[in-house]
Amino acid sequence: MLTAVAIAVDGLGFAAWLFLSSVGLTLIYGVMRILNIAHGGFYALGAYSSAWAIGLYTQTGSTIALTYLIIPLAALAVGVIAGLLIERGILRFMYGRDEVLMVLVTYAIFLILEDVTKLIWGTGSMVAYQPAYFLGTIEIFGIPYTIYKLCLVGLAIVVGAVLWWGLNRTRIGKLLLVVIEDREISRALGINVTLFFTVTFVIGVTLGALGGAVTAPQISVVPGIGAEIIVMAFAVIVIGGMGSIGGAIIGAIFVGFARALSVHLYPPAELFSIYLVMAVVLAFKPYGLFSLAEGRKI
Amino acid sequence: MMKLRNQNCLRLLLYCLMTFQLLTNAVAATDTTTDVVKVGCLYPLIGPGGLYGRDSVAAIKIALDDLKNSTQYDYPTLEVLLGDTRSKSLRAVHIARGFIKDDNVDFLCGVVSSKIALEVTEVAKENEVFFIGTDHASPRLIDEMLHPYYFRVSNGTRQSMQAGAKYIKQNYSHKPNLKIAFIGPDYDYGYQAWEDLRFFLKKEKVPFEIVGEYWPKLFETDYSIYVHELNASQPDIVVNGHWGQDFVTFIKQAKPLGLFDNANIMNFDAGGNYATLVAMGDDMPIGLVLSARHHVNWPETEKNRHFVETFRERVGRYPSYAAEGAYAGIIAIAESVRLASNKNDKDQIRHNLENLVVNLPEDPAGFSSHMDPVSHQILQVQAIGKTVLNNEYKPAKVLLGDWFIHFPSKQLPAVSN
Repeated sequence: MLTAVAIAVDGLGFAAWLFLSSVGLTLIYGVMRILNIAHGGFYALGAYSSAWAIGLYTQTGSTIALTYLIIPLAALAVGVIAGLLIERGILRFMYGRDEVLMVLVTYAIFLILEDVTKLIWGTGSMVAYQPAYFLGTIEIFGIPYTIYKLCLVGLAIVVGAVLWWGLNRTRIGKLLLVVIEDREISRALGINVTLFFTVTFVIGVTLGALGGAVTAPQISVVPGIGAEIIVMAFAVIVIGGMGSIGGAIIGAIFVGFARALSVHLYPPAELFSIYLVMAVVLAFKPYGLFSLAEGRKI
Repeated sequence: MMKLRNQNCLRLLLYCLMTFQLLTNAVAATDTTTDVVKVGCLYPLIGPGGLYGRDSVAAIKIALDDLKNSTQYDYPTLEVLLGDTRSKSLRAVHIARGFIKDDNVDFLCGVVSSKIALEVTEVAKENEVFFIGTDHASPRLIDEMLHPYYFRVSNGTRQSMQAGAKYIKQNYSHKPNLKIAFIGPDYDYGYQAWEDLRFFLKKEKVPFEIVGEYWPKLFETDYSIYVHELNASQPDIVVNGHWGQDFVTFIKQAKPLGLFDNANIMNFDAGGNYATLVAMGDDMPIGLVLSARHHVNWPETEKNRHFVETFRERVGRYPSYAAEGAYAGIIAIAESVRLASNKNDKDQIRHNLENLVVNLPEDPAGFSSHMDPVSHQILQVQAIGKTVLNNEYKPAKVLLGDWFIHFPSKQLPAVSN
């Protein structure tokens, strides 16, 4: 019974973290058709800036409660600055090129961002546990969980709901769906596709940075965390179907529960289980569970 | 955090200067003697294992000075070359090959990670160059990978786990249905540690039940899922096989999740490292059972005090255990060459290393570290302690105390499950 509860809670917590960390990646792919390897770098930038800002703030001795405001602000700052710099400074010159070239370009950006984090924050680890400690723990069937972790489940639901509402219930969201459906038709209809690209990229980067920023209080922030998340995030969006936000939710749940099941029932299969799920899904649905149908253009 | 970063920068600068000084000293020595012993040392100087590497460099300098100032013996002159492995196997192998081919070193030394040491030992074997292991601990290096040119001068996991099994026997043999869980890094070091502990527990006839084995990847950043499972499996003892930042992260994440209220946490190989105790600060729980290959506050001998205080005076802080391993490596090399008639007489040097007896900072009064000629593993005392409040070696606020001392057997025990 205890193990079943642990699997359920850990699976949900891990899925929430995966969704928060990968939804920006799938959004950018859906709109811009860019397989953004640099997403891992934005996640790392978010984590570092959040840990750094929390550290600076807590040294003042002020109330910890304000750190919950600092975390999203750090992510927003990273998203706007890095997102605009990279989209306007590099990516816009690449639009229309082969997708493989975009993969190489974003991989190069990822490597640069890895070194940027080392140059700014050094190669040591950073810890900022205060926001996670501050909320304390709650026992679920006798097993203590940090309330902060459970809050992330709530945050993931909020982010998912806001994205759904924004895309399906607002004018801008509906225009964005048109851009996702067909760029050329969108342009013909007078939609400023370039502006949508810029805004989408900044939102995607901010979401990636938010994933890192909210994770920072739970982990040791060390060099290499960007590479770690990009592999997991790709697994999630490939399972769900690249470009599909609903698919990212399902992919995150699949991967999250696969990992929780293996850790609690057969720990040696932990890493294997994630890729097993991916392989099984792709064997039956080669474009993922919720891939968008693409018309064949002649 | 800004302050920490500035301190890190200053430290890095200090180590660069020390490395430069070390090299220039060595070059100067080369000019004055034709029979210099060249030693190529491999350590990570940045990244997760960087602290151990930087401490090792500082300790090498102390060892060279101690050899130079020795009034007892006339030691040969050592020229030490340093290579930054950055904790990467391929890079370490490349540097080792360069040391051998381009610099004609007589010895390779160092290596923090067992994974990298397993690669470097192959290079040493191929080129018939002595490799003196100073910090890594995997038993594979002294088992199936052992060759005539490899010697290790710090206790390995086998000795730590033997001492750990004795500790568990002494303190828990009365407990019926003893439940043990293990969590360790997902690579050779972790697997070997767990295998050895199980072997020695059986050998000591300690009845126990395994309620879980967990293998997070090396440099994992989030252990919460494992802690939840450890809490759910309700062990009496959680044996932790992590080291460095991984152990710090594990403890910091396990503390608010109540793991220490439910089980006794033990780490017999590296958890009691001074650097780990510093990193934990106020967060280190009291009563954890930990050990390390060297302690700043044990043994209370003149030699250990000299080493610890000299290190602090030069570097500005107290040493991690890796420092004493590097110190031991340089002393062992100098001693083996001193006793040989010629630095090129490899058979004689091997014989000297196989019969090596040296008194090191970690040796308690009346005991000297000595090499097991069969396994090429040095045999040293393993001191296991409990975390207690003690701020005598600041900035650590918790040190080990209430010691359990395990003296080694005459020969390293073979393990066969």
